[in-house]
Amino acid sequence: MRPEPHTDFVNNQVVEDFNYKSIFDNMLDGLAYCQMIFDGQGNPVDFIYLKVSKNFEELTGLKKAEGKKVTELIPGIRETNPELFEIYGRVSRTGKPDKFETYVAPLSRWFSVSVYCPKNNFFVAIFQNTTASKKTLKDLKDAKIAAQNVLDDLQVEKEMLALVNAKDEALLASIADGVIATDRDGRITLMNQTAQKMIGQEHVEVQGKSIFDTILLLEEDGNPVPHEKQPLYLALAGTTTTTDPTTEPVCYCMSKGDTKIPIAINASPVLLNNKTTGAIMVFRDISHELEVSRAKSEFVSLASHQLRTPLGITKWYLEALQKDNYIKSASKTIRDYFSQLAKSNERVLSLVGELLSVSRIEEGRIKNDPKPINIGEAVYDIVKEMQPFAQSKKIELRLEKKQEKSLDMFIDPLRFHEVIENLVTNAIEYTPPFGKIDVVMDKNDGVVLISVKDTGVGISVADQSKLFTKFFRSQKAIESNPEGSGLGLYVAKSYVEDWGGKISVESNKGKGSTFLVRLPINRTKKGGEDL
Amino acid sequence: MKKILIVEDELAYTKLLHDQLSTKGYEILEAKDGKEGLEIAKREKPNLILLDIRMPVMDGMTMLELLRKEEAVKNTKVIILTNLEPDDKIIGKVVKDQPTYYFVKSNTKLGDLTEKIRDVLSE
Repeated sequence: MRPEPHTDFVNNQVVEDFNYKSIFDNMLDGLAYCQMIFDGQGNPVDFIYLKVSKNFEELTGLKKAEGKKVTELIPGIRETNPELFEIYGRVSRTGKPDKFETYVAPLSRWFSVSVYCPKNNFFVAIFQNTTASKKTLKDLKDAKIAAQNVLDDLQVEKEMLALVNAKDEALLASIADGVIATDRDGRITLMNQTAQKMIGQEHVEVQGKSIFDTILLLEEDGNPVPHEKQPLYLALAGTTTTTDPTTEPVCYCMSKGDTKIPIAINASPVLLNNKTTGAIMVFRDISHELEVSRAKSEFVSLASHQLRTPLGITKWYLEALQKDNYIKSASKTIRDYFSQLAKSNERVLSLVGELLSVSRIEEGRIKNDPKPINIGEAVYDIVKEMQPFAQSKKIELRLEKKQEKSLDMFIDPLRFHEVIENLVTNAIEYTPPFGKIDVVMDKNDGVVLISVKDTGVGISVADQSKLFTKFFRSQKAIESNPEGSGLGLYVAKSYVEDWGGKISVESNKGKGSTFLVRLPINRTKKGGEDL
Repeated sequence: MKKILIVEDELAYTKLLHDQLSTKGYEILEAKDGKEGLEIAKREKPNLILLDIRMPVMDGMTMLELLRKEEAVKNTKVIILTNLEPDDKIIGKVVKDQPTYYFVKSNTKLGDLTEKIRDVLSE
């Protein structure tokens, strides 16, 4: 039996009604059924909301839209969104559906719209509020731009860093000295070509290894230098250390296979926020320098001895003549000339003597023949010897002993005499007539202090730093005493330091100078704690 | 009369010392190098030798070493007169080879030297 057509129709209608309503009420998209309004020329100028879905208000923000014109609901819509009228007009005229996305400025919302035409001059718009996803998209786009900017910046920085690295590498490569950097535990982090060549190992072989295991540092006699005395160890402890045998007595050698290479080292801590994060050691092969230095000293020594012979002969002949009646009974002019000859000869002799001392100091063979002597008496004798010289310049030379206790020391008496005599002689040379010189002796914590204070010309701060270097003479010194050699203080400093002591100067230009010698009583050989 | 042997290659020194010391009543002998000095010392047995170090043919330290081995003259007093600064090696030898004195000529006054000679010879 065929089913009743009517019944079928009714049933279908019910199902459709149910489906439509259900869809209509529950769909997430908004829906509006509208009638298009055209003007006299057939232009779409407005539309009326005939029916809207339940969620229309939520999606658009428009209340009670049904039965109202869009221009009423959203004033200005024609100016902000003319495309709406154009598209809806076209669809409701032609029946051809369309799809678009638009921003409705008066509502501040984005909509994605599908529109179709159920019958002529009417349209149905199904839409989604896409503001949130649009914003997300926009945020994403912004984020992408920002990320790109960061990446661009990073690239620039990376390039700059690469440039800096390239410069550093070129710099390191072009340095003729060996350069090794370590971390705070002394592990090698960097090493230039010169260092690799000198050590005889590639950077990759020693990267991360302890520098103390990589470089065997030896004393001159071949004994290994203990870690705690090595310049790099001291650098890691925070002190910059320099060893340069051409100026200092310490000579370290680096062992490379069976050969020993003498080196000069400078090691400095790498500080970051006042914390040691590592150290850098710069070193160079000084074989050639040492050779030149030795050859020079040998030459000076030999030349000095050769010079001494004729000077010594002259000295004795002049002395023999002086005792002779020919000179004693000669005219004043002859006696004056004679005394000038003797003085000049003595000057050259003392210069030769100083040159010999310097060459000995440089060869590291300072004469040291310590004997037990009473320092107080020794200084007293020197001051007494110098009195005639001081008086000839009308200078008051005084000795003050702050310690009554005996000041016995084990020290080379001749060298000690040379040092103190040098300081007192200088004081007299550089103090104008009627000045004062105070030699003060004191003893403190196992240290003998001898100071020589004058009211002389004084020494500028700039000159003070150079005062104890070889052949240095300040302009003032040259003016006051053109005969000086610039070696006396260098020799004095070398001797005092050889005894483990220190020599220093305090001075104000025009207000005199004070030279201070500090000597440890129980030690006359170098080594041990600093003063 | 006390005999003094001067072993010196610089004739100017020799002449002056000769003049100065002979007027003080010493008999003076001269040698130009260590070899000659050793021969004269053995033959003449001087009371004192004034000995230079740096000399041709045989230097002073070699002569001193050989002198100390000669029974007849090994205790001869010696004053080393040189322009070389005494280094540890020389000092060590001189101390061992008593009685020996050391003077650096250019640092020494002629008067002090003649005084020392008088003292040494009167010991």
